Amino acid sequence: MSAQTLLRAVTQAVFLGVFILVAIDAVRRPRRATLDTALLFGALAIAIADQWIIDALHVNVDRALGAINGSLVMAMPYLLLRLLDDFTDVPRRVMRAAEAGLVLAVAGLIGFASPLPSGLTLVYVLYFVVIEGYCALGFVRAAQRSSGVTCRRMQAVAAGSALLGLAILIAGFQVATPSLEDLWTVVVQVCGIASGIAYFIGFAPPRWLRRAWQGPELRTFLGRAATLPRLPDTETIVRELERGAAQALGASQAVVRLWDEDAGVLRHTMDGQVPEIRPGETIGGRAFARQQTVFSEDAARDDPEYAEMYRSRNVQAVLAAPITAAGRRLGVLAAYAPRSPIFAEDDIQLIELLADQAAVVLESRALIDEAVRVQAREEATRLKDDFLSAAAHDLKTPLTTMVAQAQFLERKVTRNPEAPPDIEGIRRIVREAQRMRSRVMALLDASRVEQGRLLGRLETVDLIELARDVCERPRSTPHRVVLEAPQPVVGEYDPVRIAQLLDNLVENAIKYSPNGSDVQVRVWQDDKVANIAVIDHGIGIPATDLPHVFDRFHRGSNVDDRSFAGMGLGLFICRGIAEQHGGRITVDSKPGAGSTFHVRLPADARVLVS
Amino acid sequence: MSQQPILVVDDDPSILATVSEILDLEGYPVATAVNGADALRKVEELHPSLVLLDMRMPVLDGWAFARAIAERDLKPPILVMTAAQNARRWAEEIGAAGYVAKPFELVELLDAVERLRQHS
Repeated sequence: MSAQTLLRAVTQAVFLGVFILVAIDAVRRPRRATLDTALLFGALAIAIADQWIIDALHVNVDRALGAINGSLVMAMPYLLLRLLDDFTDVPRRVMRAAEAGLVLAVAGLIGFASPLPSGLTLVYVLYFVVIEGYCALGFVRAAQRSSGVTCRRMQAVAAGSALLGLAILIAGFQVATPSLEDLWTVVVQVCGIASGIAYFIGFAPPRWLRRAWQGPELRTFLGRAATLPRLPDTETIVRELERGAAQALGASQAVVRLWDEDAGVLRHTMDGQVPEIRPGETIGGRAFARQQTVFSEDAARDDPEYAEMYRSRNVQAVLAAPITAAGRRLGVLAAYAPRSPIFAEDDIQLIELLADQAAVVLESRALIDEAVRVQAREEATRLKDDFLSAAAHDLKTPLTTMVAQAQFLERKVTRNPEAPPDIEGIRRIVREAQRMRSRVMALLDASRVEQGRLLGRLETVDLIELARDVCERPRSTPHRVVLEAPQPVVGEYDPVRIAQLLDNLVENAIKYSPNGSDVQVRVWQDDKVANIAVIDHGIGIPATDLPHVFDRFHRGSNVDDRSFAGMGLGLFICRGIAEQHGGRITVDSKPGAGSTFHVRLPADARVLVS
Repeated sequence: MSQQPILVVDDDPSILATVSEILDLEGYPVATAVNGADALRKVEELHPSLVLLDMRMPVLDGWAFARAIAERDLKPPILVMTAAQNARRWAEEIGAAGYVAKPFELVELLDAVERLRQHS
């Protein structure tokens, strides 16, 4: 037996062996893709078997048998095109054209005597090569669009198609120019074996090979999973889970929906883009309701309500698994593919593994969130406790003078009724009573800010009038308060609250300018915005405090509790006044250089004067 | 009765004035200080028979003041006056002879002062 004969025998054995494997698969799972695969290898297997019969019986090639063999070989491009259609979209007209070509080819084989005229052989080769080339390109494109296992499978099939096309091309030239000898026959045989193997691993990859292809993607996913719970938010985590799952499964898209117990719906974190579903609705909802993995080969058929959506998103097959941790139902993971053969049977185990991993990630995240919530609650309680003790302290201080001073006056009058009244002592009581009153008012205002009902009646007022009143108010400090206001700025405001806001800012500016420097108040209008700026050249605010200056109970870290009396409510109330007018307040500051508080309020544009 | 004054220490000017006047009316010699550092100077200078001490003050607070006089081996009895809830614990912390919680009654203050003056 020559080497060439041996090679030919091996090629034939490979094709027959593959045919047996795919035929078993087609019988076990009779679906279009498995049947098409079985037909493709079946055509070749029959042709090979025919050849064996001819060789064994040493008969001259019977014309009818030759025609059947030729027809089976010529059917291969068409069967491959059907397989391409099983994995991607092949336009109808291309299918029709291939069908017409096949019919013509078979008719030609029956009509003409063998051997065919060489010109006609070239036409056959051309038909074969064009369809094979089209399929190879189609599979290359499918490989580019997909990832993971699917990408590898499409690459294998593309290679198989290219090799088979090449083999036929060379064989065709050999027929046309018989001078090409043995070497080329060997090349054709080798291409034949290679394409057979490539088709086999592409169309019916054995389980171990799929595992090997999934391995790297899966390892990447699992490796990344450990760090996922630390991502900034659940949405980012879900995005990563979806990306990893789609890649590991070779699906075009994967979607994680989370279970919202209160609303009774499964919701995607990107609201609106992916519809929310109820348990039992759609394939994902059914997987969640039954708490088991569901595979749908034809989502539009199984889910007629959403058929349009599946079609518009080019989804044919859906694989969905519940995400459940220790009996707690967290959500559902669904993977989508444009064609059902993209998923294999063992992908059910894979998606279950991915869903379990997603459950671990989401549970870890929930624990982290819970820890943060507990911390925030403790912090809020601590702030409230701090505030209560600070508020109590600040109210007790004026009260101490009031009680002691009043009892002292009483004692003096009792001992010596004729003595002149102690006017200084009486004034001290009055002053402390006022201090107490303003602190109580600040506490009440702070609670009104929280309830959002700080404002009284709105009136049409000129901010400059209010600012002038505040700036000219007599103060016990040496600071000058300078008003810069070129023209009226009119709007609908609560004058009492705006005056309070201005006074608070000016008082703060003075309080935190122990050097006695000037305080500037600027009032101006930009288009429809009324602006107030209060500028000081005092101690300033450290950068770390800036984001919190308008928070309730916040006191600057460079502020000595007692040298600057206050409860940390002034700026909180200022923010409330600005915001409840539909405006806002911001601050710019440099420690040691001073601060600028900027209030923007809606202005009445009609009154804008030029 | 010793002519050494009672030193009143408080950063709140109204409380400082009221307490001094009360003690003055009862015939006690009185000195005042507005924070711990000021108080430390006055203690060294006047050797007061009793210190009425506010705890939360700028510059040098009650605790720092108490440590400073202990280091200098000056040991006037201290009466803590504070608006804080844990007045008693703070008084114990600095080894004070007693405390009055703000706001206090006039007689409460005078009783405490009288008691401590007799002990000293």
